[in-house]
Amino acid sequence: MSESTHQSDTTKKKFVKEGTFGIYTGFVMLGLLLIAGAVIPRVSKYQPDELASMPLAPPSRQNLFGTDVLGRDVFVRVFDAVFIDLGAAVFGVTIPLVVGTVVGTLLGISKSKRVNSLVGSIIDGINAFPFLIFVIALIAFIGPGIASIVIAISLVNWARYARIARTRAVVVNQQGYVEAARTLGFSKKRILFKHIIPNVSSETRAYALSDFIIVIIAVAALSFLGLGIKPPQAEWGGMIRDGRDLFTVGIWWPTIFPGLALCWAGIAVAFISEGFTRRSREVGTR
Amino acid sequence: MSATVETELPSESNVSKSKDRNRAALRKTFLGRIFRSISVSFWVMVIAFSLIRLSPGDPVRIALGTEATEEVVTSLRQQFGLDDSFIQQFWSYFTGFFRGDLGFSFFNGRTVTEIVTTHLPVTLMLIALSIGFAIIIAIPVALFVAISKKDSINYLFRASTSISLALPGFFLALVGLLIFGIYFNWAPAAGYEGEFPGNLKYLWLPALVNCGSLVPILSRVLHSSLVDTLDEEFVETGIIRGVKKIRFYWSYLLRPSLAPTVVLLSYMVGVMIGGTVIMETIFSLPGIGRELITAVDARDYPVVQGIVMIFGLIVVFFSFIGDLMGYLLDRRVTLS
Repeated sequence: MSESTHQSDTTKKKFVKEGTFGIYTGFVMLGLLLIAGAVIPRVSKYQPDELASMPLAPPSRQNLFGTDVLGRDVFVRVFDAVFIDLGAAVFGVTIPLVVGTVVGTLLGISKSKRVNSLVGSIIDGINAFPFLIFVIALIAFIGPGIASIVIAISLVNWARYARIARTRAVVVNQQGYVEAARTLGFSKKRILFKHIIPNVSSETRAYALSDFIIVIIAVAALSFLGLGIKPPQAEWGGMIRDGRDLFTVGIWWPTIFPGLALCWAGIAVAFISEGFTRRSREVGTR
Repeated sequence: MSATVETELPSESNVSKSKDRNRAALRKTFLGRIFRSISVSFWVMVIAFSLIRLSPGDPVRIALGTEATEEVVTSLRQQFGLDDSFIQQFWSYFTGFFRGDLGFSFFNGRTVTEIVTTHLPVTLMLIALSIGFAIIIAIPVALFVAISKKDSINYLFRASTSISLALPGFFLALVGLLIFGIYFNWAPAAGYEGEFPGNLKYLWLPALVNCGSLVPILSRVLHSSLVDTLDEEFVETGIIRGVKKIRFYWSYLLRPSLAPTVVLLSYMVGVMIGGTVIMETIFSLPGIGRELITAVDARDYPVVQGIVMIFGLIVVFFSFIGDLMGYLLDRRVTLS
């Protein structure tokens, strides 16, 4: 490498370091949680819904996180909940991401004023409602449960992605490469999927990452409010709800551990999201 | 924001012309925003009203359960006008809204308007207090981080804000209740008292926890606009002229940086409303969020519909105010 590129190399190194630390930490934290969620329920001597010991036994060598009000092992339940909580959040982000990006893009490139203003108004209307309130209301009408949570979150959130995608699609649609593709006579479908959507979705995907944090917390919060997962299934929000009254009289373990797991998951994603934001900002300014 | 450099000295006629243009721009923005807010409000009402169509099967039957006789269900359906066409139903709901009539509960005969007017003040108070706390915390933090140019402090700021964004409010509320309510006994664990200064005793802890989701976002946005402001030449001028500390911080740093923060604050009202629902449930405050949860549990659809719509309208109102204030605080865009 020649002398002249040396300068840009060091700056490059610096920005890689900046975002990468957060991304690595986040992925390691998330990976550990996923591994624990996959392994611990299988190797543990207790089943998540098995009565393992005396009710409300404090943490000990047999029950690392103690037992809950029914005598179930909190340790295995906390990790049994990993895939339910994160899985619901993954669906609660991906469905609106895909639907919102497609709808928003189509709206951004459509020439029909009437469609634009009608769908645009509906999008603005949905976005006006406070997220959590609207999700709670939707669950009231479609009934509680984990599937309802995902459906309700998707019904609300697609509009947020659609708004971002629409704004972006209007810009992308006027870019030179799209014009070039049109001049070359590519089909509309090909232009849409190969040229426009990838460039629109870079924006919506970035939003999805920070949205993932909100959705993880929302899923647990909804279960905490009693609108989520049905009782025998272990789930962080539901476990916190069950332990809530005991918590204030000094029995902390059925509540603290699922709460910490939830914080752990949230912080992991927050680090990843923050890392990627730093990285893209560095690239953008240089 | 790029500042345009005026080479010509502003003459008398130039000033008045730009003033006129400014006023016209203000009027245009104002009218545009009003029109937009009204149209969004209309859609908020349409969407809130259509919610009931999502319920699988007959909403009255679902609400009353299987024990209710067919006659009761039919009479209630008639009473609520559920057999009319969708347009007719919406029209009566829409006109009813302007008469202050949002229908009434399926169960206890209270009107939705009554529920909203008795419980909304507590929620609004909680939101106002949360925003107040958030401002009190965010401004000094953002100022401190922006002025100190140390990398480590910046790094700490970024790490701590992104961590606190990821902490679930309902869990923090429980921990806060344990620490301040039970251990230190500084806050009552439950109960409420309606009068203004007395209710602060019950509201300060939920508001403090609730502002936890607002502080990181607020301080970040304020921090980044403060950093931009610090690059401006007038800040240097202020330092050279030796302006008094407080005046310097306010007029030279904060005042020019506030516009994005104010707009953000108005958008965050929606997030705050979501947070208050959880705080009201945990601290048993008689706010409208707790009414919403009760109504959801009971499947009291008219109440759910009414509360959701009111919240939607509140958000629309605040984003209107916020947009306008942001515009008034920073009119550089249209002036140049």
